[in-house]
Amino acid sequence: MARKALLISPELCIGCRGCQTACKEWNQLPADKTTETGTYENPPDLTPYLYNKIHFIEMSSVNSERGMRWLFVSQRCMHCDDAGCMKICPAPDALFKTKEGIVAFNKDKCIGCKLCIAACPFDIPRYDAKDKISKCHLCYDRISEGLMPACAKTCPTGAISYGDRDTMIGRAQKAGYQKLYGEADLGGLGVLYAFKDAPKTYDMNEHPAIPETVVFWHNVLKPLAYIGLGGAVAASLLHYIVFGPKKDEEVKKDG
Amino acid sequence: MDKMIKKATAFEIVNHWALAVSFFVLAITGFGFLFHLEQLNSIFGSFNQMRVVHNWAGVVFAVSLVLTVFDYLPVSLRFSSDDVTWILKGGGYFSKKVKSPPQDRLNAGQKLYYLAILLLGIAAAASGLVIWLRPDVSDIKKWVLLSHLIHNISFDLLVIAIPLHIYLASLANPGTFRIMVYGTVPLDWAKKRHEKWIKEIGAE
Repeated sequence: MARKALLISPELCIGCRGCQTACKEWNQLPADKTTETGTYENPPDLTPYLYNKIHFIEMSSVNSERGMRWLFVSQRCMHCDDAGCMKICPAPDALFKTKEGIVAFNKDKCIGCKLCIAACPFDIPRYDAKDKISKCHLCYDRISEGLMPACAKTCPTGAISYGDRDTMIGRAQKAGYQKLYGEADLGGLGVLYAFKDAPKTYDMNEHPAIPETVVFWHNVLKPLAYIGLGGAVAASLLHYIVFGPKKDEEVKKDG
Repeated sequence: MDKMIKKATAFEIVNHWALAVSFFVLAITGFGFLFHLEQLNSIFGSFNQMRVVHNWAGVVFAVSLVLTVFDYLPVSLRFSSDDVTWILKGGGYFSKKVKSPPQDRLNAGQKLYYLAILLLGIAAAASGLVIWLRPDVSDIKKWVLLSHLIHNISFDLLVIAIPLHIYLASLANPGTFRIMVYGTVPLDWAKKRHEKWIKEIGAE
């Protein structure tokens, strides 16, 4: 099965937030109580019941050379190929990869340790009232049946499009985007962005990466646990064979 | 029968077993989390329950570790030239001809070992508590990442140190293991190994 991906084109987004609503509808997520903060961005952050949202950025002559602009950036789990959350998760199958390359979760298997929050390069995982992980799973129940994710299905402008990852990259290149955000980072993201400016203009990390301590732990400390334990047992046995025990009659006082 | 002398109190023995058993539970479940050992579900039921066992075994371990301070810390901090010599001679573990200098109730190796375990245990317990309880601070992610690192470094060092300790306290030194069962050792055995301690308590 070819890897699937979303292609996000902020320039096409009109900020209707139909994607937020469609996501809640398909995934049967309750509404969050929120307050008017004076921007299109609402709720102001992802919650356990809000898997995706439109991040709203207002640019003016004060913070932009190109003058007045409104940017709408659709945000959700990026479905990394090399996912920090999956790397650090201590519970088997709590997070898993589908054949489409989606990072999905199983709340029954989640043990609520919250380590994934610390390992995620994009600040995505949230925890619900029962202390279970909650995030976008790209409607893996829909896409496994050949349907589109709810957000892409409902998007009226094509700002969120969905398909084979390679096809999406090809389509963006044809549209004049030489390099997509997320094409190569973290083994390639499952959510690609067609940005016209530097990622930081869209409040995105230029070089997203799994925290170095997690990489070090995975590459060095994990194998060292087995090697260390085995080595200590082997060294003990070796000592027993080579030098032997301190038999009482052999122990001498310093005279 | 040889004249016996008390080397460990009942409290010390019980506390050491609490420390040992909780460590084994922590290490086994720890390996389970590290390597997704689903075979352990036959013991703990599920990873959810294994987490509960791991956390509370950690509490037993931490309390037990703090209680060892009374038994071992004062003597471990008393380091003399005899102790340095003992270390330089490798404690007599690498040659049968070596004569070790007189030692306290704990020998130099035991002292250093205790200090290392105390340090590693505190590091493991404190970092574990941060991951478990997630104190409400603004940069909690950094605290959790640091704790995760410390937890795993101390874990690695502990799973190296503990097998060596078990070996040294059993196979390598016949007559030692009974201390953790009966608390007593033959007086002559103790004189050869802990001469300064025997003189100190005047048990001739």
